[in-house]
Amino acid sequence: MKRILVHQPATRRSNAAAIGSSRASLRQVVFTDEVSRTLFAEYRDHRLSEQSQVETGWVLLGQRYGEEAIVLAVLPAGRNADAGVGHVRFNAALQAVAARILLQQDRRLTIVGIVHTHPGSLRHPSAQDLEGDMTWVKQLKGGAGIFGIGTADGDSQGAYATQPRSNVQCWGRLRFSWYALGATDHAYWPLPYRLTLGPDLARPLHPLWPVLESNAEWLDRVASRQVGTRFEIISGSDGKALMVSLPLADADSALRVILKGEEVEYLRFHHGEPCEAD
Amino acid sequence: MDFRPITDSERRQLVGALRGNAESNQAIMMDRRDTSFVGSANDVTDEEVISAIKSVPCHY
Repeated sequence: MKRILVHQPATRRSNAAAIGSSRASLRQVVFTDEVSRTLFAEYRDHRLSEQSQVETGWVLLGQRYGEEAIVLAVLPAGRNADAGVGHVRFNAALQAVAARILLQQDRRLTIVGIVHTHPGSLRHPSAQDLEGDMTWVKQLKGGAGIFGIGTADGDSQGAYATQPRSNVQCWGRLRFSWYALGATDHAYWPLPYRLTLGPDLARPLHPLWPVLESNAEWLDRVASRQVGTRFEIISGSDGKALMVSLPLADADSALRVILKGEEVEYLRFHHGEPCEAD
Repeated sequence: MDFRPITDSERRQLVGALRGNAESNQAIMMDRRDTSFVGSANDVTDEEVISAIKSVPCHY
């Protein structure tokens, strides 16, 4: 097939017009308490590490309901992210595999935005950020995304988090400033947030980040090509492991790969019973 | 009729809808007036979510 053609009815509005006012389509972001704790805890760890002057970030997964988005999971940039004092490019393979695992549990999840940090005190996305994000948000549900900026110039109130402005969240020396951007916008706008009780759905993956990151490229490749690939987190006496199940061509046969630390174990199952893997 | 080449984003949406139909029996939706493709039952498919994650631009 050389080309696929699609019929464009004369009455259909353009994408931009169909999205309408992005500002109207996203009026508030809701964070669960566990998601907020993860963001502050991981940012604090980052600031205490040797990489404190390097940018980092997270992908935000959640759901869109009307004019609100609720963030239900955060995926870190990864140790193999390409990051420096003035930029960060996330480890996309790690985040893709983590998202695949979470999507198996809840197919309503979608990507709602990203957060990145600035080592200095610039509390707003940069002009270069805007250039890339304007194009990127077209892929998001509702044509609008959430963009957070983390800086280390909070209000120093360490006992509890504060909300000095509707779009600003501070805890100790750390600050997150929240913005939104739509496909038809030429600037970010401050996005009010509120908190609710709820999980960080990615929390069970935390002990597995090193394993996921070491194997992310091939795991993502297999999952995208092999229909029916399943991921499962299993617990053993000596910690958690990732089990990947791959259906085989033989009826009722599957290959299970168990990843734990540096160890990789292959198991072949036939009619639910283990047999030797070649 | 106004025919034009499919865009990258429409191609991703179409592939996602076909995959969702094959793997999870998701409905592929059609505009009743002109039979044009108007998305799948899930307006953002899993593969579109993965595609968006993989295309997060560099931030500065």
